[in-house]
Amino acid sequence: MKKIAGKESQKRKSRLAKIFMSPAILIQFFFGWLPIGMAFAVCLFHYHILKPEEYVGLANFQDLFADPLTFQVFKNTFIYTGMRLAIFLLPVVVSILLMEMNKSTIRIMMYLWFFPIASTASIVIWKWMYNTEYGLLNSILMSLGLPTLRWLNDPRLVIFCLILPGILMYGPGLIYLATLQSIPDELYEAAELEGAGFWSKVWHITLPRMRPVLAMMLLLSIIESMSVFSQPWILTHGGPNNASMMVVMRIVDLAIYSMRYGKGTALAIILFAILMVIIIIQRKYFKEDIDR
Amino acid sequence: MPLIPKVGRRKFRVKLVLLTIGAFLWIGVILRMIPLWWMFITSIKPAEEVYLIPPTLFPHRPTFAAYKIIFTLSGYISSTGAYIAHPSWMTYPMYVYLKNSLIITFGTMILQIPITALAAYAISKLESPRWSRILFLFFIGTMMIPGQIALIPTYLLIQHFPFPTRSIPYIPFTKIKWPAFNLFNTYFAVIIPAGFSAFYFLLFKGFFDTIPDSILNAARIDGASELSILRRIVMPISKPVFAAVSYFSFSAAWNSYMWPLMVLQREKLYPMSVQLARISRLLSGQTMEVRGREGLTEDLTKMIELGWSWNGLMAMSIVESIPVFVMFIIFREYLMTGIKLRGFK
Repeated sequence: MKKIAGKESQKRKSRLAKIFMSPAILIQFFFGWLPIGMAFAVCLFHYHILKPEEYVGLANFQDLFADPLTFQVFKNTFIYTGMRLAIFLLPVVVSILLMEMNKSTIRIMMYLWFFPIASTASIVIWKWMYNTEYGLLNSILMSLGLPTLRWLNDPRLVIFCLILPGILMYGPGLIYLATLQSIPDELYEAAELEGAGFWSKVWHITLPRMRPVLAMMLLLSIIESMSVFSQPWILTHGGPNNASMMVVMRIVDLAIYSMRYGKGTALAIILFAILMVIIIIQRKYFKEDIDR
Repeated sequence: MPLIPKVGRRKFRVKLVLLTIGAFLWIGVILRMIPLWWMFITSIKPAEEVYLIPPTLFPHRPTFAAYKIIFTLSGYISSTGAYIAHPSWMTYPMYVYLKNSLIITFGTMILQIPITALAAYAISKLESPRWSRILFLFFIGTMMIPGQIALIPTYLLIQHFPFPTRSIPYIPFTKIKWPAFNLFNTYFAVIIPAGFSAFYFLLFKGFFDTIPDSILNAARIDGASELSILRRIVMPISKPVFAAVSYFSFSAAWNSYMWPLMVLQREKLYPMSVQLARISRLLSGQTMEVRGREGLTEDLTKMIELGWSWNGLMAMSIVESIPVFVMFIIFREYLMTGIKLRGFK
């Protein structure tokens, strides 16, 4: 008797669940899965302006591989990603060191180090700082008697210029701080009793405890920098001479300004394949962390 | 907790180390403050002072003129007596872009948070195990796939809603096209695709999973309806996760740039992020819009005569940053607790 009632109530709950989920299912289908599926079809077509689209098979991919710009954008993106990874640990180090300060200093510094400003605003500020004639950076160099730099206009310097704002303006510091504060004090106290020093505490307690968060942030950071768009788009728009043109910028360029939907999607699929490989590798090596 | 033990803190060597750490952190803070200081200082400079070489680090005549100009934007009478209208780069006063940003951001939050939370609650607490496993993969599967692949198909989808194709297909055997909605150049083009987020779904589900079933069952036995369980029991417990998701959702929508740039191509609809980037491009002489080089120089001269250039842009940046900062202050306490939730591990 009770079991039947339980079944009955599960049915009722399931029905309610379907109602609760229906908007999410609709949106997830139309804006989540449908475009992903369509991408594999769109990349096989050539879209004419006036005539209906035409099936061209893999010609879009051939077109991409014949285009030197394709290799250029991937090279730029890989350099950018590498440099972003080089500074990946900086906010972690800052957070760990921050914990050494006394309570009130932590409070103040947490605001000063990690308070956010709107991301476009921070990019635009740097554009003003990098200004070759009136910008702050060049006038500092000038007042020190050093030769001024051309910053964003210098093809060799430009990717470094894209990294610099990231060091100072954003940073997932709050997430690291929250993780650090969630490590139980007893662990450190026990280690202290056994005579562990600063480094061994960091190495044996802090870092292993942060491992899941670090693994996830690393993956997010790689995906984010492989698909970077707004920073280079606003700062340089790909210039000078495509030295800062990134993959997603090229996709948007092809889609909006040239209406080359097929070629753009083909490029997106190549990026997708590369990212999938990275994600699979990451999941293989950090499997136990992310799934738990 | 500090890793350097308390007892050792009196020793000279340890004191020196602590002092070095402190110095390192404060230098970092100062480096971080320089751009923000520069933004603020530039925004309160009068137009002539912006282009001084070397730049002044403290404005000689601080003025809020730039703020006034960007919010009112009127033309002026030139020395020859002709009325000079505002350049075409900023047709509307600031509050139009501010309003667009607010509509997009709060529209996204109002749609996204309840839809995502309800789906997560249904999967976590209501659905039978078999279905919830299948639907769980359906919901979070897109998170494992890099989103750029869907960029162009979504762009096409927006232009005639249920069909992600270049043109609307015909109904079979007829010459009539299927009915379709054009969402292009509407706020919905930005709001609706963000209506469900796999990432926030995981956060919500991770939290709802920690609520013991026994509490909900006890309420059910007492005769509470599912809706009142949701409202009276689940919602109050889940405040931290709602706060964290609200903050993430707010900053993602407020800072979004690429998608509004692609689907809102009328200046009246630009959110602040798009307009800021556009003005910055004008001011540094990069143009890709129809007017070309001469038009650009002309517009720039006009803007400087009107009394704003980079100072106006920096004022806009400050206006754009205030809501982000306010939200950060409001949600900071919740964030520190909310991030520790299981879903974010």
